[in-house]
Amino acid sequence: MSLHSEHYSLELKIAKFLRYGVIFALILLSIGWIGQISQGHNLSAFKEYTSVSFMVRWQMAISNSEYFLLISYLGLFALILLPVLRVLFTAILFLKQKEKPLAFLAFFVLVTLIISFSLGIDL
Amino acid sequence: MNEFILLTTSMAAGFLGSLLGLGGGIIVVPVLTLFFGIDIRYAVAASLISIIATSSGAAAGFLKDHLTNLRLAVLLEVGTVTGAITGFLIASYIASSYLFLLFGGFLLFSAFMMLRRREESLGATEHPWSKKLKLSEGMNYKIENLPFGLVMMYIAGILSALLGIGSGILKVLAMDGAMKLPMKASSATSNFMIGVTATASAGAYLLKGDVLPEIATPVAVGIIIGSWMGARTMVKMPAENIRKIFVVILCLVSVEMIVKGFRSL
Repeated sequence: MSLHSEHYSLELKIAKFLRYGVIFALILLSIGWIGQISQGHNLSAFKEYTSVSFMVRWQMAISNSEYFLLISYLGLFALILLPVLRVLFTAILFLKQKEKPLAFLAFFVLVTLIISFSLGIDL
Repeated sequence: MNEFILLTTSMAAGFLGSLLGLGGGIIVVPVLTLFFGIDIRYAVAASLISIIATSSGAAAGFLKDHLTNLRLAVLLEVGTVTGAITGFLIASYIASSYLFLLFGGFLLFSAFMMLRRREESLGATEHPWSKKLKLSEGMNYKIENLPFGLVMMYIAGILSALLGIGSGILKVLAMDGAMKLPMKASSATSNFMIGVTATASAGAYLLKGDVLPEIATPVAVGIIIGSWMGARTMVKMPAENIRKIFVVILCLVSVEMIVKGFRSL
């Protein structure tokens, strides 16, 4: 397989991955949302900002048996992971093609994404 | 009941966004804050999630059509992602009233940019960085002004994290205006990058606890469905007339956001 056709086939694989990934996240989010409505959440509760970390919200959802909220969180994580994995695949694609500077840039973006996530963690 | 109104308005945002080539952010944030009265920080975080969804869905199509310049996208993402980190870090120090003012200003800028006639002028000389990284390999154009493009991407990243938008308008402006890419290539490459830009701050906001599933879920579901519907009806709708009406709406909403910003100062 030539370098260009290999590049194109990997681009197609990334495209397929993104499409199926969005569908998978959409299914999780839809299930979670329908379940949340049945449990009766009220949007007016969010008019004032309160700083509560994700870990606290997650543990509260577990202790209150709010499983649909947890499914929604999984859907949100799935969505956020899509671009992260896309960057990883791009880095692998460039590594395979021995394009070291571009592979380095893609890994740099990946590491920066991980650092940015860690900034949101309340230590 | 409110949840269904939110779903419907998010579907409309996705539909309009897809029709006009915008992310849903500039529609979703004003709807959440002005109509539902939700705090702008929650609105920004929910909007970023919806941007990831639409960008990932659309990027798949652009990659298949071979319009996206993957090599250039990787380089420019260095600017957008570091900008998004900066935006996330300074967001905690900016009062909500200033976020409203900044958002209102950006809406006015977006309205102005939507009225602008995009003219294609392809690059004549390849920038040395582009030559070294072979950024236009296999493409029928040359890339100019890369350092300026990177700075613009950094600013786009900051605004994305602060306002919950994709900053596609800025990215496209830098790519076809300064870096001299063909319009289709700049739109496709911008859309491809938007998801990664939004992810940088969305992930941080999620772990900080600002992404609330009660808001983000109906918004994301609505926007995904709306943008799919928009993509399917795109050819049948008079997009130019819708664009003009939308510009007027953007101006009105921007005034409303600015007024709200001043009132809460």
